[in-house]
Amino acid sequence: MSDLRDVLVEIRWQLVRRRRALLGWAVALAAVAGIYVPFYPAMGGGELQSIVDTLPPELISALGYDRIGTPAGYLTSTVFGLLAPALLLVFGIGLGARTIAGEEEEGGLELAASAPVRRDVLLAGRIIAMHTQVFLLAVTTTVVTALLVRVVGMDVTLSGIVAAGLGLNLLVNAFATIALAVGAVTGRRAIAVAVGASIAVSSYIAHALSGVVERGDLLERLSPFSWYLAGDPVAQGVPIVGYVLLGTLTFVAWAAALTRFPRRDLGV
Amino acid sequence: MSTAVIAIDGLVKDYGDVRALDGVDLEVREGEIFGFIGPNGAGKSTTIRILLDLLRPTSGTVRVLGEDPRAGGPRLRARLGYLPGELDLDGTATARQLLEHLAQVRGGRGSDRIAPLAERFLLDLDRPVRTLSKGNKQKVGVVQALMHRPQLALLDEPTSGLDPLLQQEFLTLIREERDAGTSVFLSSHVLSEIEGVADRVALVRDGRIAVVDDVAALRAAAGQRLDVTFASDVPLAALDRVLAGVEELRIDGLRARGVWRGEPGPLIASLHGLPVARLELRDRDLEELVIDAYRADAPEGAGQP
Ligand SMILES: Nc1ncnc2c1ncn2[C@@H]1O[C@H](COP(=O)(O)OP(=O)(O)OP(=O)(O)O)[C@@H](O)[C@H]1O
Ligand SMILES: [Mg+2]
Repeated sequence: MSDLRDVLVEIRWQLVRRRRALLGWAVALAAVAGIYVPFYPAMGGGELQSIVDTLPPELISALGYDRIGTPAGYLTSTVFGLLAPALLLVFGIGLGARTIAGEEEEGGLELAASAPVRRDVLLAGRIIAMHTQVFLLAVTTTVVTALLVRVVGMDVTLSGIVAAGLGLNLLVNAFATIALAVGAVTGRRAIAVAVGASIAVSSYIAHALSGVVERGDLLERLSPFSWYLAGDPVAQGVPIVGYVLLGTLTFVAWAAALTRFPRRDLGV
Repeated sequence: MSTAVIAIDGLVKDYGDVRALDGVDLEVREGEIFGFIGPNGAGKSTTIRILLDLLRPTSGTVRVLGEDPRAGGPRLRARLGYLPGELDLDGTATARQLLEHLAQVRGGRGSDRIAPLAERFLLDLDRPVRTLSKGNKQKVGVVQALMHRPQLALLDEPTSGLDPLLQQEFLTLIREERDAGTSVFLSSHVLSEIEGVADRVALVRDGRIAVVDDVAALRAAAGQRLDVTFASDVPLAALDRVLAGVEELRIDGLRARGVWRGEPGPLIASLHGLPVARLELRDRDLEELVIDAYRADAPEGAGQP
């Protein structure tokens, strides 16, 4: 009961302290959508397709450009499949690593952890605050994209854009939580960043190669990027299994952090 | 008569292979200001952080306000105030926002004292904490540690970063808080910084308590450093007689130096009639005390009236 109050106080505080940084990231993500979406009609869907067609087919598949000539494929190749996840992953993994381990190394966690708040409650408040920030940035990306798609008159459904935005949120929150959990377990920010970033990058590469190599379906099954994109959410809507897997990954990271963080020495 | 706010018994703490605390025994009584003095790496911060359950002991028992820090949890920490030794305040939040948040975490306790304490320490509450100087950050730390009138304040090197004037103001505040019912445990590496305010002190080195005593007794036991220069040669026999009670005596031409324990009166009387050009008797500093303590396990006379 008072634990709930403590969680809310912590969430509020994390959002207050980070609001300026958050605003900057929102502008950056809006810019990504703002630069790429209006570019589509200028290229003319078919024209872009003919340029892409001159590339070797393996490369096209690896770049995820196989459907770039369609409006949905274009959004996937640019905003939802490449730039927004790249930016948001930098944000999310950085935030996750700093939230516990970074502050712990710099000494900023001392006051929070010595306050009359349970450690698991403190941790939960901070993870939820991180989820909220990632969510707000995914919403920004989704809303700006949806608006511009309307303005430009691209033939993409709103539900497809929302489905992709939801997947973006789930993907980034999964990696951000992994980084946070590694930091909460080890207390080392560098390890948290390294683990989060290397899983994210290898997952991206696995997704890119899945259409090229033999037994690519195996890669697709293992890669969180594929869980997000293989079902083509912009065109097909929510790929339920993939999104459930992303949520599960986040849950596992939560569990690892909650198991270890309350039990270990801080700042050593 | 008075109960213990801190009771530490056989406390050992290892960081991997490093033994930071090697059997610390300590008792701090309710209502006292207790100084915890030791050089860098002595184990002061480690001890304090165990009291707050930021670290868990390797072995030994610890009671804070009668409770084990881990079992006591948030309920116990609600009765404590803590100033970290290395205070890091970042972010764009202002000092006021940070302090209000920390009061919120305590259910609003202390919120009403933020403004008066800030005023007293000339702290600008509306600057982002990140942009504050080290001394100003330290003031934020002091305010948050004391604003909610904790039963026990654990202050890790509270005077570091404060200029002499503010150090005095801080020590005055500590005394007031004590009079209002807060027991205070504070660390420092310099005894002189806190001896005016501490009732008792413990000297710690290499993870062990060397001495616990009240400040006056410690001072007396520590003695003073004597440095006397004569205007002209003094017959050796006379010198021997005069400086007989001086320890660690070194004679260097016309100058004699050593350690004098006890009242200075007899020493000065014995110098009477000799051609003294310059005389200095100065309290010895902490390093010397600790070294002494280790040499004899306790300075002569310490602990005895
Ligand atoms: N995280 C750590 N890992 C390994 N050794 C540590 C760690 N923290 C402290 N130590 C060691 O434990 C001992 C006690 O350190 P502690 O920080 O408690 O000393 P201190 O008295 O607070 O010193 P200072 O005056 O420098 O703050 C030192 O030898 C230190 O090197
Ligand atoms: Mg220290």
